[in-house]
Amino acid sequence: MSDATANGIADTAAARPPRRDIGIKKRYAAERRFKIYGIIAIAIGLAFLVMLMTSIISKGYTAFWQTEIKVPITFSEQVLGTAEQANQSQTKLLMANYPQLARDGLVQLLGIDPANKQAVNAANGLISSGTRVALRDIVMNDLSKIGTTEDVWLYASSELDSALKGQYDLDVPENRRPISDLQLQYIEKLEAEGAIEQRFNWGFFTYGASSRAETAGLGVAIIGSLYMMMIVLVLALPIGVAASIYLEEFAPKNKFTDLIEVNINNLAAVPSIVFGLLGLAVFINWMGLPRSAPLIGGLVLTLMTLPTIIIATRAALRAVPPSIRWAALGLGASKNQTVFHHVLPLAAPGILTGTIIGLAQALGETAPLLLIGMVAFVADYPATPMDPATALPVQIYMWANEAERAFVERTSGAIIVLLGFLAIMNLTAIFLRRRFERRW
Amino acid sequence: MMENIQATLNRDPAVQAAKPIKMKSRNVTVHYGAKQALNGISLDIPEHQVTALIGPSGCGKSTYLRCLNRMNDTIDAAKVAGEILLDGQDVYDPDIDVVELRARVGMVFQKPNPFPKSIYENVVYGPKIHGLAHSKQDLDEVVQTSLRKAGLWNEVKDRLDEPGTGLSGGQQQRLCIARAIAVSPEVILMDEPCSALDPIATATVEELIDELRENYTIVIVTHSMQQAARVSQLTAMFHLGDLAESGPTEKMFSNPDDKRTQDYITGRFG
Repeated sequence: MSDATANGIADTAAARPPRRDIGIKKRYAAERRFKIYGIIAIAIGLAFLVMLMTSIISKGYTAFWQTEIKVPITFSEQVLGTAEQANQSQTKLLMANYPQLARDGLVQLLGIDPANKQAVNAANGLISSGTRVALRDIVMNDLSKIGTTEDVWLYASSELDSALKGQYDLDVPENRRPISDLQLQYIEKLEAEGAIEQRFNWGFFTYGASSRAETAGLGVAIIGSLYMMMIVLVLALPIGVAASIYLEEFAPKNKFTDLIEVNINNLAAVPSIVFGLLGLAVFINWMGLPRSAPLIGGLVLTLMTLPTIIIATRAALRAVPPSIRWAALGLGASKNQTVFHHVLPLAAPGILTGTIIGLAQALGETAPLLLIGMVAFVADYPATPMDPATALPVQIYMWANEAERAFVERTSGAIIVLLGFLAIMNLTAIFLRRRFERRW
Repeated sequence: MMENIQATLNRDPAVQAAKPIKMKSRNVTVHYGAKQALNGISLDIPEHQVTALIGPSGCGKSTYLRCLNRMNDTIDAAKVAGEILLDGQDVYDPDIDVVELRARVGMVFQKPNPFPKSIYENVVYGPKIHGLAHSKQDLDEVVQTSLRKAGLWNEVKDRLDEPGTGLSGGQQQRLCIARAIAVSPEVILMDEPCSALDPIATATVEELIDELRENYTIVIVTHSMQQAARVSQLTAMFHLGDLAESGPTEKMFSNPDDKRTQDYITGRFG
């Protein structure tokens, strides 16, 4: 034995057998090729994502800033009536000609002759006609302001806003652009006086639908979407989890439960617009529930989300090692105790992740909502889920149909908001999974 | 090996003494769908003894073990026939509740499977669901006695709130034994409890099994014939779904009646 080893060592250099060709080079080459394919695939995906995000963000970020003009407003008694009159009856105050106050203030600020109708009109075109509500709220909140003069930041018109944001080509002849040379002069003057400013556009998040871009906001859509998400969460999570637990842990395995399983999987692949038709037929026409209501939207989205939640929950339940079930059963725990004390807590992270992903899917869903009338012009906040509202993706769809330049940035801005919500939901899912995941 | 067996037997003169029968099975057959896994097993399991079930893989010894506390109920396709008596009562009788049965016939599995909870929670789970202990004081006591009996108390008494899954393999298996004895079962079934453990942990668990015999009736499935010889007083040899032979361990290893037993223990197959 030892002799043979000694000989072996002595002879290695001289008598090493030629290396066999077992295709090692080819194997490594195949591996490298596959890696390159993978990197290319990921690069293509990333490139498209970057293009999409650049396009949306570059178009949409300006929607979060709104041009405002500081105008000295005289709350004149001629227009509003006296404070005493207002105390007795607010009718006059409600109906008063507030845009006139804004116009007068701006005309005074720019030093225009009030008799020069053309110049006055040009100046008036710089402020939003949505100032009516803003000025009325100031007066209604504090009647003592009547008769006084005060600097107020007013929304600029969407033309001025777009012009300042560089969305118009100002080199074209005057009659081919929505903003005149005279107005451009006024803008320069206002800028020189520091009376014009880009401020954060809180109205974008609080206003409802409006035909004027500068006072159109996502408020109603956000509330509507929140209502719907709450309804989906409250209905789909318990129903989905209960159904999954029954199917996975209790149901006998036979043809019938197989059929149910196949159907649930198919349901997940049904186009969402079909669920909209179902909602229209069942909830609105048959049950007589109101149209455009987040309640209906929530119910339809619940139906749509259920298969997703059921599939995710069943996968999570199946991922719990059977040894945990045996341990509990072997101790004399009943099936129910086994499931609720051990299996469900271990499956919870998976269930939560699935639910949040289902919710995120529902949040971005548009087609079924169009069919149940959530594509509506809703200016007032819905007080309950039974009141008309819109939803974020539907609002995007509606704004995308508007011609005005200012709505283009708002469409992209709304997309950014929607993507923001989706990102937050997905991050929550990841966080919850990390937080509750247990090793065994 | 023979010295080992002899030593074990000498250490324990009670081997020959007849003990009352704790569990009795008559003509037990099990089908998994169309496949028959057990062909009429009749075996007596005496009280306060360790009965080892040996045999080559797939011979039905685990299947038989799982009949004793009806763990086969959890497998849809499994059909059990025949009679299994615990203290003269048929465990498949509709009057017997499976929960109650499993509280009386505990089980330790092949792979240590503590719950992913604290050591304390692992032990008190059984007593809690069966309502055996309510106050914090009672539960503390159950934890201490069970862990002491499982020989784990000294190693874990300062970290009862740490996860049971963080223990070493052998400690985990002893935790599972502690968890099983916390509900004060009469019989403990062990399905290859040492197959996932290293030799040192195996020795600890084997010693523990020997001590537990005083209070519990133990049935152990094992692949290792040395282990069967070391820990058991009775051995049953399974082969292809049949009970080849059963009898006192000493006789089985020195002078088996059945050719298959002889071949198996001498290593000719298996």
